[in-house]
Amino acid sequence: MPGMDVTLEKLKILADSAKYDVSCSSSGADRTKAKKMGTAAVSGICHSWSADGRCISLLKILFSNRCVYDCEYCVNRRSADVERASFEPEELAQLTIEFYKRNYIEGLFLSSAVENSPDYTAERILKALSLLREKYGFSGYIHAKIIPGVSPELVREIGLQADRLSVNIELPTKESLAILAPQKKAAGILNPMRQITNTLEEQKSLKGAGNRFSKLKQREDLLLNGLELPVSTREQEAKYGILPYKKGDLYNFAPAGQTTQMIIGATPESDRQIIKMSESLYKKFQMKRVYFSAYIPVVSSSKLPALLTPPPLLREHRLYQADWLLRFYGFSAEELLDEENPFFDLELDPKVTWALRHIEQFPIEINKASMEELLRIPGVGNISAMRIVRQRRLSAVKFDDLKKIGVVIKRAKFFITCCGRYYGEGEIAPEKIRGQMLSAERIKYGLLPPNKEEQLSLFGTERTHLLAAAKEEQRGLLV
Amino acid sequence: MDYLYDGSFEGFLCCVYAHYYKEKADGIYPEEDYQRSMLYPFYLVATESEKAERVYEAIQNKISNASLRRVYRTFLSNDPQKETKLLHYLILGFRKGRMIDSLHSVSEVYNVQQIEKKVANEQHRLLGLVRFSTIEESKEGSNSESKAHQILYAPIEPDHNILELIADHFAKRLPMETFILHDLRREKAVFCQDGNWYLGDLNRNIRFTVTEDELGYRSLWKRYFDSIAILERTNPACQKRCMPVRYWKNLTEFH
Ligand code: SF4
Repeated sequence: MPGMDVTLEKLKILADSAKYDVSCSSSGADRTKAKKMGTAAVSGICHSWSADGRCISLLKILFSNRCVYDCEYCVNRRSADVERASFEPEELAQLTIEFYKRNYIEGLFLSSAVENSPDYTAERILKALSLLREKYGFSGYIHAKIIPGVSPELVREIGLQADRLSVNIELPTKESLAILAPQKKAAGILNPMRQITNTLEEQKSLKGAGNRFSKLKQREDLLLNGLELPVSTREQEAKYGILPYKKGDLYNFAPAGQTTQMIIGATPESDRQIIKMSESLYKKFQMKRVYFSAYIPVVSSSKLPALLTPPPLLREHRLYQADWLLRFYGFSAEELLDEENPFFDLELDPKVTWALRHIEQFPIEINKASMEELLRIPGVGNISAMRIVRQRRLSAVKFDDLKKIGVVIKRAKFFITCCGRYYGEGEIAPEKIRGQMLSAERIKYGLLPPNKEEQLSLFGTERTHLLAAAKEEQRGLLV
Repeated sequence: MDYLYDGSFEGFLCCVYAHYYKEKADGIYPEEDYQRSMLYPFYLVATESEKAERVYEAIQNKISNASLRRVYRTFLSNDPQKETKLLHYLILGFRKGRMIDSLHSVSEVYNVQQIEKKVANEQHRLLGLVRFSTIEESKEGSNSESKAHQILYAPIEPDHNILELIADHFAKRLPMETFILHDLRREKAVFCQDGNWYLGDLNRNIRFTVTEDELGYRSLWKRYFDSIAILERTNPACQKRCMPVRYWKNLTEFH
């Protein structure tokens, strides 16, 4: 490949800029039309793990970091003083295919800053993807980001080359968006989202997220933070300038669906606002996933947390756990957090937090509870709930059976009775249970009793270590 | 009585045959690794394909296809007791029939399942951890056609003998390429062209010349690998748990 050292420089700049993106799942697509190269593997394959312990599966990169926008939180905003670079379409296509051939990667995750205009950038991205698919016969996985404000024609063309599309929602409310990313308009984000959803529906491949217990499958068309978003009809399509589709050319439009991403901790929104937003994204657009990204202060600004603020990794973790409850356990956002308690308890997982705030619903009798009720018990998962239901058809489930079934006893015991008997210690009072659960954790990880400032280190979870490491790292950098 | 065999799957099946038609076996071991002792009787079982085939078909018909698959994959592991554990599994299998597939908590089944799981894990892991390089096809004396054809070559050193289990994946992934997937430890290689592959022997000391481009792409990959990590989230423990250090030797990004 000519000019490899030029590419090397670009790679450094453009990979560096892309790495704060969190979504890297490459599963769910099967593009096995015989081509020259590639199978988009159905189960995700990790090719390596970077020093931060994340799986590397895709070449995750920006097409360009030259940006005409000025989003407050972004290292590449127009007013920032950083090295700039852009790929040539051919250059990127070749880089991808050569990496793929050597089994470095499973595919490409392509995003970009806004070079000149959204459409200019999208056209160059489209060029690169077409070269990759057509000239190089690549049939591996492609995830393409759609830049807000791109015209519908380009969204469609890019969707025909990509396996998955995403438009980042960026921030949980319109107000925050207006303050931090003034050039990104809510409509510019939501219109392509809706177009993607509608196209998928039209080609009958709109699947959405979650399992059969999830409430997210019920499609919803309500107000989204003041912006009206009806599930579109033909006329509305026309009104928004979205082209009618030709039958037949759609069957391969983004077969792995659509995702989005939200930044956590850059703005003052509560957990409640965040999960309500993400629930509504699932319902309205039938997204496959809504990703969260803990904000890492990279920019000094009066509108943002100070540079020393550690990224809220534990909070991000709790939000992902809550997301899991929405997708697989039949919870709704409204149930998880109400207006009086708009934040999760950082020290306990959201399911326990919910249970303690609704203690009147417990204890639940293992041998009588419905599937839905079983799923709400902390320490009981989808599989163990199913096993309980299956086994008790034959004979009553005994307390000693629960462990083999896969129930996490140390959590579940506070919330259940088994054949009428309660196995927790003492009375069923939220504060007591909370205390017992926390001291159990503390003993397990050999930690000292908590003091207020170091609340987070209570938890020996990986995330907390990470957090500590991050703090260290940042201190090291700044003194 | 211990039975010894030549290390091949067929040879192992012949030991199972002998267990039923000659004398009961206490253990089965590859001849190569066996510690002979004066006190303990052993017998070297000859590998005969008809006998092997009879056992093979018996597993398929009297137990199940799933069990046959399980037996084979377990056989590919490096567990020193695998043959003996498999023998016990098969003895139970011939008594219980296809029911054995769901007897997860019986020790004969559990032991084999555990080994099979390790093999499957490594198989999956290796799909990502193989690194190909482009090498020159060494055609002696023909300088004129030197740019004609590139071959992809990847050395691996898996714990278990999973080479043939991953061959199909790469044959499908690289249907237009010619590649060699080389298990250095066992001195075996998969040779694949146009999507068809066969298994052959290949000395571990063989050296190839990489193409000019190759070094360039390696440094591009390394550059990418280094810049993708988020400094604030550095977590070497997690990295090593996901990708054990013993595999690093053949990974481009760590050189
Ligand atoms: S559009 Fe905003 S977030 Fe994207 S690169 Fe430009 S400044 Fe950064």
